Amino acid sequence: MKRLLMRWEVVLLLILVAELALFGAINPRFLRPSSLLFGTSDFVQVGIVAVPLTLVIIAGGIDVSFGSTVGLAAITFGIANFFGLPLPLALAVGFGTGALAGCLNATIIRLTRLQPLVVTLGSLYMFAGAATVLSGVVGANGYEGIGGFPEAFTGLGYARILGLPMPLFVFLCFAALLLILLHLTRFGRLVFQIGQNESAARHSGMPVFRVQLITYVLTGLAAALAGVLLSAYFGSARVDLGSATLLPAITAAVLGGASIYGGQGSVLGTIIATFIIGYLQQGLQMSGVPSQVSSALSGALLVLVVALRHGTALLRDFVPVRPRRA
Amino acid sequence: MLDRIARDRVATLLVVTIAVFLLVGAVAPGFLSARTATSVWSSGLVLMLVALGIFPVILTRNIDVSGGSILGLSAVTLGLMLNAGHPLWFSLGGALGAGMLAGAANGALVAGLGVPSIVATLGTLGLFRGVMLIATNGEWIEELPEALKALGAKSIGGLSVMGIVTALVICLVWLFLRSRRGRWVMVVGDNREAARHLGLPVKRVVFLSFVWGGAMYALAGITFAAQIGFVPNQAGSGIELRAIAALVLGGVSLLGGVGTVAGTVIGVIFFTAIDTSLVFLKIPAYWNDLIGGAMLLIVLLIDGRLRIALEARDRAARYRRSSHKTDAAEDQGGAA
Amino acid sequence: MSTVLAELSDVSKSYAGIPVLKGVDFTVRAGEIHALLGGNGAGKSTLMKILSGLVQASGGAVRLGGEPLSPATPAQAQAMGLYLVPQEAHIFPNQSVLQNICIGMPKAAGAYRQRVEELIAQLGVSLSPDTKAATLEIADRQIVEIMRGLLREAKVLILDEPTSALTPHEVSTLFGHMRALRAAGHGLVFISHKLHELRAVSDRITVLRDGYVVLGEDMAASADHAILAAMSPGVTALDARAGNREITGAPVLELEGLGGEGFVDISLSLRAGEILGLTGVVGAGRTELAETLVGLRPRSGGRVTLAGRAFTASGPREAVRAGLVHLSEDRQQYGLFLEAPLFWNTSSFVFGGLPFLLRPGREKTRFDEYREMLGIKCAGPEQPAGSLSGGNQQKVLMAKCLAAEPKVLILDEPTRGVDVGARNDIYRIIESLAERGTAVLLISSDFDEVVRLSDRIAVMAGGHLAGELAGGAATDDVAELAFEAGEAAHA
Repeated sequence: MKRLLMRWEVVLLLILVAELALFGAINPRFLRPSSLLFGTSDFVQVGIVAVPLTLVIIAGGIDVSFGSTVGLAAITFGIANFFGLPLPLALAVGFGTGALAGCLNATIIRLTRLQPLVVTLGSLYMFAGAATVLSGVVGANGYEGIGGFPEAFTGLGYARILGLPMPLFVFLCFAALLLILLHLTRFGRLVFQIGQNESAARHSGMPVFRVQLITYVLTGLAAALAGVLLSAYFGSARVDLGSATLLPAITAAVLGGASIYGGQGSVLGTIIATFIIGYLQQGLQMSGVPSQVSSALSGALLVLVVALRHGTALLRDFVPVRPRRA
Repeated sequence: MLDRIARDRVATLLVVTIAVFLLVGAVAPGFLSARTATSVWSSGLVLMLVALGIFPVILTRNIDVSGGSILGLSAVTLGLMLNAGHPLWFSLGGALGAGMLAGAANGALVAGLGVPSIVATLGTLGLFRGVMLIATNGEWIEELPEALKALGAKSIGGLSVMGIVTALVICLVWLFLRSRRGRWVMVVGDNREAARHLGLPVKRVVFLSFVWGGAMYALAGITFAAQIGFVPNQAGSGIELRAIAALVLGGVSLLGGVGTVAGTVIGVIFFTAIDTSLVFLKIPAYWNDLIGGAMLLIVLLIDGRLRIALEARDRAARYRRSSHKTDAAEDQGGAA
Repeated sequence: MSTVLAELSDVSKSYAGIPVLKGVDFTVRAGEIHALLGGNGAGKSTLMKILSGLVQASGGAVRLGGEPLSPATPAQAQAMGLYLVPQEAHIFPNQSVLQNICIGMPKAAGAYRQRVEELIAQLGVSLSPDTKAATLEIADRQIVEIMRGLLREAKVLILDEPTSALTPHEVSTLFGHMRALRAAGHGLVFISHKLHELRAVSDRITVLRDGYVVLGEDMAASADHAILAAMSPGVTALDARAGNREITGAPVLELEGLGGEGFVDISLSLRAGEILGLTGVVGAGRTELAETLVGLRPRSGGRVTLAGRAFTASGPREAVRAGLVHLSEDRQQYGLFLEAPLFWNTSSFVFGGLPFLLRPGREKTRFDEYREMLGIKCAGPEQPAGSLSGGNQQKVLMAKCLAAEPKVLILDEPTRGVDVGARNDIYRIIESLAERGTAVLLISSDFDEVVRLSDRIAVMAGGHLAGELAGGAATDDVAELAFEAGEAAHA
């Protein structure tokens, strides 16, 4: 029982409850079930990329390129639709783009053995550039993006499944899938062990590159999923669809318990952290805080979370312990 | 051949840069002129300053990706102070102070709290950009005074004041790295444990390298504002990546401890030459991100493969040497 | 009695509540070599880190030349005349030898060039101040560390296991340097596991166990068995060799003229159920041979036959699948997952055989069987591997190998840093593996260990096979062959 209560996920849950109570006290409208439920459509895309990103981080990597992959996949999807491909094929093009982006990242990291951050920062810019060039090809301008989706598709953005808004439902299903994959399967075990000690994993004959590749591809696919969902929600595919997910998603993974050095993390933690961050932004907006402030807060929150986690670790070393004399 | 490319990085890069100039000159007449040279220098100033800021940070085996945001933050500080009627020297001081303060925040997180520099500066990248947007309410700062613009305009011998300042900074860094304390910056990244063992103030070195970075991004922000005469919302966004690419190209190792000022300078000039060529070749501006990102990835790929190939060769050579030694010893034994 | 140069009195230290030193007194006098001995976790390194200012003591006093060490930093300790030569030389690979020696001194390196050249001449080594440090051999790196201490005019030099990576010839040169320093009035602390080395040069000995000083007297007055008994009471000796066994199994691993990084033309054959000891001095090429067999290093020629088939591994993955399992000498880096629960560790060779949806209950039961069989001391299968002692960690790795049911098992220094009690257990495990038909290639620098376990003994030197001896050969014969061939190779 004590072990259960000491878990980080429980702490996160308490933070979430406290946060909801606080914003509810400031503005009672915030706690209405409909606004709590449909408000999620504004931020679930953060969670959709944060969950596979958690896997990447646990396996010892990091990916920041998803910030552009969301837009790039949405644009290729939009272009495929623009040229009259049937919806399933257009979707395949979008998801294929995401998977390819993940493949590219993993391959370059493997070939150069450089820090994944530097490599994926490069692809962050290249993917954004590619999306811009592609949307230029069909003559779409940056603000309107590529529209012209069938109504059956844009209607999905506002559809309800089992009483839940469609984006939230998709997020929960996807997250549940990855939760099982990470914590209950052989693949998940490999993800953890590769992140804990890559050389030992290689010496034990574990397929290190294949596992890392899969985590990056999953992130690419999730970015494409987010891109498609956002296109449906906004009715058009834009280059910058994912740029606002970059910092919140990394914050969600780190806040959720993923260690940037690899080997530690939890999907459930990331899911709860997503709601903490999402409701924080919404609560601030409903309390009348300007949007610039809440975007600065994402960065501040990330800094604060890692500073706290490292600060407490430092403190523990400083607490004097009396030598026990036997 | 492989050896020369890797070991004499600066010379190789110089040859490649000259080749690019000649090639573009052959395609676009009028490219090869003194005017192009000064325009490459002045349009490369901002990148040069940012690269000189990140350079010591990377030498200590850290990384700083918040450079673009600090650049924007100090440019905004400068603009707001000037438009509020403060004198130029005071506003310049304010901008520099803002940059160093931001750098100190990075340094405190990394050196003080032990946060990995990747995460810390990624966080401050968002934080500083947000602070900047709050300060400007999301609007551009325009109508900057002529006195500031004069700093970016050509004055002495075709160079601007900021151009001369940058040249001085280059000399300063070069001199510093040859000094006793400058050497500390290199060795902290070369082997941190050894530096601690010899009693070097490792944390202070790391902290100060981030503060230096902040100061340089601030100088870059001043140059940026002086050159274009206004401060947009996205000022400096993404420039840290181009700077990192230029550094890697110039032979600075992301693993710390290795790099030269000459390599940094030539790496920046190479990237600026490419940009200038794109303008000359009339390639639309929206291609810039794609070409920039692709170039960074290609540079990383070539550099990484080159490093791995060289390591393998060095290793093989070391083993060959030791087995030769053995054979020689046996021959002697046989003779005796 | 000569002057006391350094003094630790009633020093204690705890890490995260666990006491490592419990009131230790220790002195270094001018003109003496003071041996410091103790098993793993006895507190030797912590004691020396406190003396050199790298770690702050939780209680007690540190004095250098009569003055308290304050502030307790490496820079201050060095300024007060103490220098610690660490076990692995701390080198700046991309700087010159001169810079390496002079970094941290009050003036720039150029000011010390002459002094460094004098030191090089004085020590009689062939080193250029302008060589890039990355190219230095291990022995030369150690010389650089010693010169760092001498340039700082250290009166007290601490040498932390300086001989562990040196050839016998280099060791005797080092001892020459140490005696010269002693004659010049320096005080030296000499840490080593090897009793005969300590005896060769030391004047006094201090033995630590569990954070206490259990023995402190003149070297000449203390007998070997008394020192051993002080280090680990209860276990005074290793089990004796069981006697020669009849090996009837078919050959499972055959090497013909195998070459690679650091070795050439090695031909060996290993039968099922046989233990082949592979020994030699440092730099003989044994570890390189093992790593080449499992595909971690490139092969430059020759043939390997595994269970009757030609075999080339492109990596450990293929090797494990073919039944060839390798335990590296560096168990923390290449063997264990320190943060992971014990039962994850024991299934990490056989993860491919686990069901996609894991059943941890079965794995834990399996682990409990190993725990019983091998005598692993732990709280349970969920305990992280990093919290076990060195000997128990090694047993967990043996369990990991058992689970893989290998045809051939390569053990590289399986008892390095393991205390005598656990060492006996590990020997029994290795023997029972061989009984069950596994062919064991035992790589070890410990000649007693090789003689104790092996059915045949192969000796390597300078990358060549120097000779083969029958099981049960005298330890001295093995040592003689290894040293002589080693000397020839390094001459």
